[in-house]
Amino acid sequence: MPRNGSPARLVVALSVAAALAIFLVYTSIAGGGTPTLRPSQLPGHTGKVQLEGRIAGTPAGDAHGAGLRFTLHDVKGNATVPVLYRGTVPDMFAPGRAVVVSGRLRNGTFVAVPGSLLTKCPSKYTPASKS
Amino acid sequence: MADLGRAALVTALGLLAYATVAGTFAAWKRRRRLAASAQNALLAAFGAAVAASAVLLIALARHDFSFTYVSQHTSKALPLGYTLTAFWGGQEGSLLLWLLVLCAYGASAVLWTRRIARDLLAWTVPVLGFVGSFFAFMLVFVSSPFATQAAPADGAGLNPSLQNPYMAIHPPMLYLGYVGLTIPFAFAMGALLSRRTDERWIVATRRWTLAAWTFLGVGQLLGAHWAYVEIGWGGYYAWDPVENAALMPWLAATAYLHSVMIQEKRGMLRVWNMVLVALAFCLSIFGTFLTRSGVIQSIHSFAESPLGGWFLAFICIVVVASTVLIILRLPLLRAKTRLESLVSREATFLYNNLLLVALCLTILWGVIYPIVSQLVRGETSTVSKPYYNFFLHSFGLPLLLLMGIGPLVAWRRASPRALGKTFLWPIAAALVVGAALLAGGAGSSRVGVIAYTFSVFVLASIVLEFTRGTRARKALGTETWPGAFASLIARNRRRYGGYVVHAAVVLLAIGVAGSSAYQTVRERRLGPGDSLRVAGNVYVFRGFVTRREPNHQEIRAVVDEYDSHGHKVARLAPGKNRYFREQQVSNEVSIRHDWLTGANSYLIADQINANGTVDLKVLQKPLVDLIWLAGFVFVAGSLITLWPDAREERRLVERYAGAFAEA
Repeated sequence: MPRNGSPARLVVALSVAAALAIFLVYTSIAGGGTPTLRPSQLPGHTGKVQLEGRIAGTPAGDAHGAGLRFTLHDVKGNATVPVLYRGTVPDMFAPGRAVVVSGRLRNGTFVAVPGSLLTKCPSKYTPASKS
Repeated sequence: MADLGRAALVTALGLLAYATVAGTFAAWKRRRRLAASAQNALLAAFGAAVAASAVLLIALARHDFSFTYVSQHTSKALPLGYTLTAFWGGQEGSLLLWLLVLCAYGASAVLWTRRIARDLLAWTVPVLGFVGSFFAFMLVFVSSPFATQAAPADGAGLNPSLQNPYMAIHPPMLYLGYVGLTIPFAFAMGALLSRRTDERWIVATRRWTLAAWTFLGVGQLLGAHWAYVEIGWGGYYAWDPVENAALMPWLAATAYLHSVMIQEKRGMLRVWNMVLVALAFCLSIFGTFLTRSGVIQSIHSFAESPLGGWFLAFICIVVVASTVLIILRLPLLRAKTRLESLVSREATFLYNNLLLVALCLTILWGVIYPIVSQLVRGETSTVSKPYYNFFLHSFGLPLLLLMGIGPLVAWRRASPRALGKTFLWPIAAALVVGAALLAGGAGSSRVGVIAYTFSVFVLASIVLEFTRGTRARKALGTETWPGAFASLIARNRRRYGGYVVHAAVVLLAIGVAGSSAYQTVRERRLGPGDSLRVAGNVYVFRGFVTRREPNHQEIRAVVDEYDSHGHKVARLAPGKNRYFREQQVSNEVSIRHDWLTGANSYLIADQINANGTVDLKVLQKPLVDLIWLAGFVFVAGSLITLWPDAREERRLVERYAGAFAEA
């Protein structure tokens, strides 16, 4: 059976090309993903980023009013950044917890996108050994 | 006690390693008795896994906190049900569940296939043994559930979001799905290794694949429902890496289930099927790697654990080995026939496969994007909802459309005239409904209207298929209409069960489109007596009530819902639970189901304030209950296709008797 010029191959090639084209169009329009940074990496970034860190001190303010203010501490370093947040506060939100929040830096304060705060819940799966 | 568990695991590891080595040697040298002993080792390994699981269950039930695992995941106040389901509440237990399910599948596949096609097992047993050995090795040396300590007075308790009835059913379902994909993979690799690359391995594993695929699908829907009622943000799917981890193998398996039909019927796509089955299995292992390694940030978040490296190594071995094997056996996998026309049943299956795989791979790209961007640019970047939604629309909507086209197109070659006649009614129905929706104001979401229109098209074509089939059977003989309908399904379980599954997917699409494209959200701070109006309905806050339970305190905001005529429709009570031992708060939403329209009023007490006010969030979600209804239809359809059919078995035996003699 001659295998050259099989329509199946043509279809596969064309579809793969089409899928790739759609993909490239998307990435060129949307410009890829949002960077995820730690507080120490934040200076210099003016665009929208995801910030991850550990909550330091006691959060103050009203998340459904003027906004909740808390400080995020670098998980690996000593840098900190103040955060202003409005919207839903996850159940697990508490001092010492690791969180991720989207937003951008304005005049030294990280102004969060409302409702973007996520907590990481380390209690669900624990490491096998803490040695 | 713990020693008994450890011994059972070591025994399991020994037996599985023996099944791998002895099985390989037996298959290589064609030693019948040795092959039988390798099979028996696989059966015995199931016994050892059961013993290890029993030890862990007993330790959980007895609150034996000298087991580190028990003390980390339960407490004395935890209800018995959740104490037992804590079996899979942590990493070590989850791995043990994986091994148990794998051994159960392996043992039953051996027992089943031994009777009808012993020769298929020769190389399958060592592959199963190898996969099993990996998990047993992890349990013995890396992550043991039987580590012991000096018993503390009480345990740390279980994460509140795991204290939910879904905890009892969602993880086991997912595992039955993930692990079940090992069976078709092992048989496929077995077929390649033994050079028996005819269609018999596909026939032998069809029900196993279908069962695993059904479990995986149901497991995901249960997880979505769990998130919907428990996590309390008003959604059911967030494109989180861990959710995607279960979706990807399901998509690959869906593609596989369709393309094997082409191979059975026309002898085409044989290489492709091997690739798909390997892809589905690798993705299921990759899913476990994702959830366990903490390599990718997820809201399901996990502490980093030493498992990651091992899993990565295992995935690499599997990918390289299956790729090399497929390449080595390429000459045996030549297609027997070729595609005759781009407008034929085969061609629509091909398009369906390409779309499913494209969707699967773009999701995979999104999942690994943080790692890739870290490697390439030195900065971790993530893609989120817009990325996934874009590809869901680009590939998912055409898939939906194909689901209506495929079943109506003739095999081999379809004439445009016949097509026009066949599609007249479905197209008319879709256009009428589409126009009505636009007139009714559904145009606010273009994607929503497209999804609805396509859905109607698919449903109409399914109804058409059932009507045509029933009419043909009625014309044949003396059956009544219901009798003809029943015998139509009974005689073609695969085909009509498949259509029922298609109907489930349509319901899912309608539910997802309705609840995401047309939902209304309002939030406001309310004091007692204050009200909030959302899409015609009024919600009045009455005040708080509190209640104390053994291991937590409940606080509920009592809210009365009134319809647009001022009639009270329901009293709802969203609130929060405070867990004493775990020192955590959990959000408890309150949902009113409108059984007639499938709409939900979804209430969240977002923040409970000290001055007696509540920040109430109300979501009106149309048609969302169709998603859960789709789950039941999906199971019904799968059961129809899975139901044993003596007629079909006979047909297959006859058909493959020739192939058997050849081998």
